Amino acid sequence: MDDTELIDFFEKAHFIRAFEERVAVAADAGAVPGLVHLNSGAELAELAVISLLECGCDQVTGSHRSHGLALACGVDPVALASEILGRHGGLSDGLGGTQHLMAPDTGFLTSNGIVGGQVPLAAGAALSAKTLKTGGIAVTFMGDGAANQGAVMETLNLAAALNLPLLFVVINNGFGQSTSAAAVTGGSLIGRARAFGLAADQVDGTDPAAMFKAADRMVGWVRKTGSPAFIEAKVSRLVGHYHGDKEPYRVGGERQDPLVRLRDMLVKKEIEEAVLDTVVAAARARAEEAVASAEAAGDQSDHALRAWQAAGGA
Amino acid sequence: MQMMTIRDALNAAMFDLMAAHDTMVVMGEDIVGGTSPDGADELGGPFGVTRGLAAKFGRERVIDTPISEAAFLGMATGAAMTGLKPVVEIMFCDFLGVCFDQLMNQTAKLRFLSAGRVKLPLVIRTTMGAGDGSGATHSQSLHGLAASIPGLIVAAPATAADAAGLLKSACASDAPVMLFEHKGLYGLEGAVMDGLPAVKLGEGRVALPGRDITIVATSAMLHQALVASDQLADAGIKAEVIDPRTIQPLDSGLILESLKKTGHLLVVDEGAAFAGFADAVLSFVAREGFGALKAAPKALTPLHTPVPYGRAAEAAWLPNADNIVTAARAMLAG
Repeated sequence: MDDTELIDFFEKAHFIRAFEERVAVAADAGAVPGLVHLNSGAELAELAVISLLECGCDQVTGSHRSHGLALACGVDPVALASEILGRHGGLSDGLGGTQHLMAPDTGFLTSNGIVGGQVPLAAGAALSAKTLKTGGIAVTFMGDGAANQGAVMETLNLAAALNLPLLFVVINNGFGQSTSAAAVTGGSLIGRARAFGLAADQVDGTDPAAMFKAADRMVGWVRKTGSPAFIEAKVSRLVGHYHGDKEPYRVGGERQDPLVRLRDMLVKKEIEEAVLDTVVAAARARAEEAVASAEAAGDQSDHALRAWQAAGGA
Repeated sequence: MQMMTIRDALNAAMFDLMAAHDTMVVMGEDIVGGTSPDGADELGGPFGVTRGLAAKFGRERVIDTPISEAAFLGMATGAAMTGLKPVVEIMFCDFLGVCFDQLMNQTAKLRFLSAGRVKLPLVIRTTMGAGDGSGATHSQSLHGLAASIPGLIVAAPATAADAAGLLKSACASDAPVMLFEHKGLYGLEGAVMDGLPAVKLGEGRVALPGRDITIVATSAMLHQALVASDQLADAGIKAEVIDPRTIQPLDSGLILESLKKTGHLLVVDEGAAFAGFADAVLSFVAREGFGALKAAPKALTPLHTPVPYGRAAEAAWLPNADNIVTAARAMLAG
């Protein structure tokens, strides 16, 4: 990436962080129907992969923690925020909500409320790309918790057996909800992927240079060979499992903020701090505007429900 | 018009559909199941429904999967959302247990969660039914369970014409459709029209007109009901036998119409004794057809136990024509 691209990347990462922080404010004010799971700490790893995708032919599925993924894919922030708040103008007019975000026209096929549930769906997107010869690939993001789901391990095998253009990305933040991943995981995640015959890489998802390189290698591998690959990106979950989680289970432990490391990288490239400050301020203003706009929208989800039924939907 | 078994009618419909839709893919366990290039040794699934498809349409479109129902049902669901028209086979409906999350939380919900923006043209073919000594985990009839999940269209054909016709309608649907095919009926012959015309989902059929009692019977139980009706006719009782064909959405109008004429209702179903399809019919008739009832309606279902294995036990477990005759006579005598 050249400097302009890096600054653009920096802006997107800060926009996602600011969006999540602003959603948290809305939640605290009671404007969100349910619990939200914020992705703070995973922005760099997710964006590094998504920025290599091609809108129009590639498809992404994500977990319950997918606000950032949707933004990275280019989903309209107001429609996203409105869906999270269950408001009119949301992606599904409030029928889906924070865990069920769908914007397939942008390449963001769906997120998921079931841990690992999105992974087989991405195999379907990969099968479509392969069968219809679109040249596209599918990418599925999951947490370390999902890596212990049977459906995920089945899909690792299926993707290898059918030779699907599918990239698995595990965002390993060290916790499955409140349980330490180390306490409930046998062997290593990368070892599992390799055992199924996938090209696999493990990377510090808070290290910009390393993450860019791993993403580039693995997205390139899937696109070039049409075969599946796997990335385990280790990150710190900078917030609770859900917003409001006081994390009593989490004592000490280092929290690496990828945005700080990204800034350091840009400063070392002699990009002026003032330029970066301006970019961050602009990102915050954009996030404020998007979420405030959603807050101002009405809740017409009952109309959406009736319209769905009236159209014969069940 | 010609005579065809349910197996052959389904197979012929699959050929028609794959030829008509380039985007249609078929997947499941052993659905090719052979190795010769001309397809002569294709197993075509344990019941032969998909035999010959791989030789004609190629293995890119006819896919043998690993024994991983969750992964391949999920894959089929994702493929249906992204431009393909998958027909996925779950070998026995008992195996829905291993992919129930994908079925209940993904396949069934994704169109709703998109507020209808996403089309999901997915067909899930599976088998049901006891009577062949397959035991508790290869003999269940879970159509009622599936029908209780919003977002799934569920059908259970009992004849060759309906099997092929419902498959064709299922393939034309933008919402996921499950077809429950009875293992014991695959070899049953029936008349089919040339071209195997589509049968509309949500429309039942009067299999035998009558005036004294309405017998609603699904899948293999339809044939038990027809045998019973012959015996009842000998006793001067004219049963009207209705095959709902589609479980959800149910053709409730057809049942109510019949009930207005007969005033008596017997539901015969191989599904659950508690909260199954039979209970669903009794429940809606109690709500919407109470005034037409001249006697308490009755359901004949298997016992509320897992399907037993031994021949005598399995026969005792399943409703049969004699049970239907006895129940109908008792209701009309009361």
